[in-house]
Amino acid sequence: MTSQTSRQWRQSLGSPALPFVDSRIYTERDIFDDELHKIWRKSWLLVAHESELHEPLDFRTTTIAREPVALVRGEDNVVRAFLNVCPHRGTLLLREPAGNLRQASPSGSPKRITCMFHAWQFDAKGQCLSIPRRNAGYQERLQCSDVSLHQLPCEVGYGGFVWVHLDANPVPLREAMGEAFSALGPHLEAEPLEVFHHHKAIVHTNYKLWHETNSEFYHDYMHHFNRVTGMQQAGYHDRRYEAFPGGHATVSSMEVKYTAYEHEQVNLADERDLSFPLLERNGWKLLDLFPGITLNLRGSALRVDTATPLSEDRVLIEFRGLGLKRDSEAERERRVRDHNTIWGPFGRNLPEDLLGVTSQALGMRPGSEALHVLQGRREDSRVHDEVGLRHYYSEWSRRLGRSASDPYGEAAEARSGTAQELLARPLGAAE
Amino acid sequence: MSTPATAELRAQLTHVVARSARLLDERRFGEWIDLTAPEFRYRIQAYSPDIRREMTWLDHDRAGMLALIELLPKHHVDGADLLRQISVGEVSSESASEASSVSSLSIFYTARDIGDSHVDGGSSRLFVVGRYHDRFRLEAGEWRLSERSVRLQTRQLGVGSHLFP
Repeated sequence: MTSQTSRQWRQSLGSPALPFVDSRIYTERDIFDDELHKIWRKSWLLVAHESELHEPLDFRTTTIAREPVALVRGEDNVVRAFLNVCPHRGTLLLREPAGNLRQASPSGSPKRITCMFHAWQFDAKGQCLSIPRRNAGYQERLQCSDVSLHQLPCEVGYGGFVWVHLDANPVPLREAMGEAFSALGPHLEAEPLEVFHHHKAIVHTNYKLWHETNSEFYHDYMHHFNRVTGMQQAGYHDRRYEAFPGGHATVSSMEVKYTAYEHEQVNLADERDLSFPLLERNGWKLLDLFPGITLNLRGSALRVDTATPLSEDRVLIEFRGLGLKRDSEAERERRVRDHNTIWGPFGRNLPEDLLGVTSQALGMRPGSEALHVLQGRREDSRVHDEVGLRHYYSEWSRRLGRSASDPYGEAAEARSGTAQELLARPLGAAE
Repeated sequence: MSTPATAELRAQLTHVVARSARLLDERRFGEWIDLTAPEFRYRIQAYSPDIRREMTWLDHDRAGMLALIELLPKHHVDGADLLRQISVGEVSSESASEASSVSSLSIFYTARDIGDSHVDGGSSRLFVVGRYHDRFRLEAGEWRLSERSVRLQTRQLGVGSHLFP
């Protein structure tokens, strides 16, 4: 077959038919809205690291599924999460990305979260402390005790990461993660970690395409850096995928040969000797967590990606880099350099990954010709096997109650229709 | 101790900064490197209010920058045209052979051959704003860049870049 007609374009490929997803799962608004409600509002999400709010009364703000969220470390040292919304008139409360409540706001008191609009004040536990002229305005009809901030389930774990869930009664974080951290966890929990890098990008693509890029490795053909330091090195194709309940998956380690990248030979070749606790020198482990979190531990630095879907074709991606809290100045400088050489906004890999996923979004647009996006590589669960993608979409389909390969039930309906026609056909009737 | 620059020194350093911008715009990297002294150090830095920390996004010596440039053909580099708009502000003389300047920087991005070139090709947008903190050393009668620290205010850079501001 030299080229394909429209009908052939939508047919399953290969013999027998290979696993695929329908491209409309990346492009259609109704599916995106469904995902926000059934996935993003129903999952534990990594939103920060405890080192971003290490002092009592530190706060950090973020957004989950269109909900503004504030993290606050109380004077009791407990990190809590709240909807960052005043219960009075719906105003955003904390407007900075981070800070400390000891600093009084222009209309409030120190140690309090004060709404800028009407000066209602709350403490770090979310309790209302003050409503200006409450007696005069509300008499006995409203007490401070009647209102408080909307607290969200929040846990700190797996290396000091802060996790938040929008649902009031989620399964515990440990239960949701299961054994997913079995390979990476020991490296993260051996010593306290600290964030040294944070940058974000609004990328014109669907969030799942970004997560896929973190879940399949054979796009390393695109990366000169990964190709020469990883894919062309011994042990790369022996790395194994392991899938866990809940759509999570991990990839086992190899030794990255940094000196194979010509630039490293200039001034870095003999300096890549810093590692992470319990990790072999220049080791490389990766963990993908459903629905859009990736922890990528390579050599001396841990990179953590978190996706915040904005629409079906836009995603905010936050990139964090972490080292050890006890790092000396020289060690930290080393980790920063190792991290940003490949993963910073001016790094060698990251712009290529982001160009790749924006190009996918340009090829698959709302209302454009739907296609079957293949996920058919099977290599005994080794690194180029697409088992991670298939596992992710198995969970996605379960959560949404629709098949990723047939999101509108058309194929199922057609099969059903055929069955109905057969049933309606008189016995013995000619084909 | 630094002293305000003479008009002549200001003109000389402004010329170096402007030329460095044009050479980078035109991807004449070899000539750009020729503007730098052997001890040249290049850094891109930004402050993150999210994590309340100073960040260093790129940090190389002259050899490192040269290697970075020579490897560009092996990477998928966005083919956009960049235009650096520079305004040299403070210029100071540290000694007869050392000087410094601070310049404000805006870089405009004109889409060319990557992305949806049919729709976006030829459109321009602001890419980053920030400042150059430059140090210079007089070498054989020519002012050379001995250090450039790019302080970016912009922290969202879309897909990022293999090039440097």
